[in-house]
Amino acid sequence: MVGATRALERPAVARPAWWRRRRTRRALTFYAFVSPWLVGFIALGAIPLVLALAMSFTNYDGLNLDYIRVVGLDNYARVAGDRDALLSLQRTLVFVGATVALGLVVQLGTALLLDGPVRGRGLFRTLFYLPYVVPVVAGAWVWKIFTDPNGGLLNAIVNVVDPGFAMNWIVEQPTTVLVLFTVWALTGGGMVVFLAGLQGIPSELKEAAQIDGAGSLAVLRHITLPLLTPVILFQVVVSMIWSLQIIQQPLLLAPGILRGPGTLPPQDNYLYIVHAYHEIFVQQRFGYGAALLWLLFLVTLGLTLVIVRSSRRWVHYEEAQ
Amino acid sequence: MRAAALRYPALVIAATAFSLPTFWVLVTSVKKQSEFSSLRLFPSAPEWANYQLAITLADFARFATNSLVLATSYTVIVVLTSALVGYGFARHRAPLRDQLFVVVLAMMMVPNVVLFVPQFVLFAKLELTNTYWPWILWALGASPLLVFLFRQFFASFPRELADAAEVDGAGPLRVFVQIFVPNAWPAFAAALIFAYTWVWGDYLYPILLLNDANTTLAVKLATAYADPHGNPLQTVTMAGVVLYVLPLVVIFFVAQRFIIRGVVTTGLRG
Repeated sequence: MVGATRALERPAVARPAWWRRRRTRRALTFYAFVSPWLVGFIALGAIPLVLALAMSFTNYDGLNLDYIRVVGLDNYARVAGDRDALLSLQRTLVFVGATVALGLVVQLGTALLLDGPVRGRGLFRTLFYLPYVVPVVAGAWVWKIFTDPNGGLLNAIVNVVDPGFAMNWIVEQPTTVLVLFTVWALTGGGMVVFLAGLQGIPSELKEAAQIDGAGSLAVLRHITLPLLTPVILFQVVVSMIWSLQIIQQPLLLAPGILRGPGTLPPQDNYLYIVHAYHEIFVQQRFGYGAALLWLLFLVTLGLTLVIVRSSRRWVHYEEAQ
Repeated sequence: MRAAALRYPALVIAATAFSLPTFWVLVTSVKKQSEFSSLRLFPSAPEWANYQLAITLADFARFATNSLVLATSYTVIVVLTSALVGYGFARHRAPLRDQLFVVVLAMMMVPNVVLFVPQFVLFAKLELTNTYWPWILWALGASPLLVFLFRQFFASFPRELADAAEVDGAGPLRVFVQIFVPNAWPAFAAALIFAYTWVWGDYLYPILLLNDANTTLAVKLATAYADPHGNPLQTVTMAGVVLYVLPLVVIFFVAQRFIIRGVVTTGLRG
């Protein structure tokens, strides 16, 4: 009551002043709450990004600042003559294409199979999701042992139809194993995203189509998939960006005994990012490596833009009512 | 109807294909090493001693402790800072707020590898390599992904909740701690698990930043166990892998609901 009377007695001009004080207070509160991120972003985000860019114009070796020299765009020009960089980029694009395409089919396929009233839904969902929980080191072991030429199950299965079949998969077909490993590990995350997307599709639409005599495949093709295209676009972009950057998986799938970052995967799995890491942490070419990474960033950005642009033709957005 | 009849066979085949590799690790972990390369697919009798060997041969306890210490300290700090920051973005208005949030989202998309190289140089210059400090610093700076998770969660709270407390004269921090935190435990559960799993599973940063003595279990397990002659002991290694993964699988079964909701929140709305 006291407060209300005082507010009434105050002249009208006092109100903006009161607002302004409150706004300042609110702004200060906001900045206090976000200060950990803000400080972290400056120290561990903005400054490193500037340093990474600056580094790429120098011959920095990661150790000694005495011999550092500005070399301009030399590092970037050198990439054109670096056979390892170009070949590894080519391999990376093949790997990313295969992983994204197969991953999409498997993620969407498992989600569609589990959509609706399915007996044992929880069990199946858990089985598809579990590999997503398995850390990369363990996942690499899963695939190494599964494809092992001596004690592996894969060759044993193939032997049922093709007796005498023997293949050392991680040596002879390393990229196949890498793609399977990556798709297997990623399915869980994509599947639950698609399942959530499928739940967002109004069931009246499907029922209406079924009453009109559409079979389940027709409903899938003309109702479900078009309405799911925004989620598909998102999932394609995210898995593309992610698979362009994978480095632990190829390093860990290398045959033999791993000795830190110095152990290189077989040539087929020598991806672009592996090359960049090798240049930086093994060859101590920090400047050149930084340039390689910025080029990868540009490639990522370019591919993302291409996909997003193409999406205008195939992504269906519901019109606002 | 015909397509529906194919659903169960398809599910069973896909689920089998997905589980066979993992199943094979379990089988291998209880084989005798002499049975590993033999034609016998399944062990004659389970060799539980492999699990004992996995613990004694590699100083398992020490590296598990390293992983535990590193993952716990990172997780506690990063969940705390990310919750505060996410709450700030969700519930407080200020100039530049929306622009700053775009920066948070952009940082989720900047490749980690691009950031890590200069960070590595900074850590080396500050003599923080071979210590756990890099993880502490990362945690203090909050994680964009978790900030996003908390922001989405707190933004969905009803307005009246905070207003009522503010009318009662509670300060902003008290409103956060007494009103929002107790109602946000699904988000906290998801964030804790995400952060913990990330450190427990990471291989790359420990091999680049830590040394043989203070490195994590993930790094140790990347190398196979070997007998005194240097021959790899695949069966013991698989036992070690099972022990290493077990905590995460247990956490997953206990908190499945929150984990999946968290994946959907950060995945669908990014």
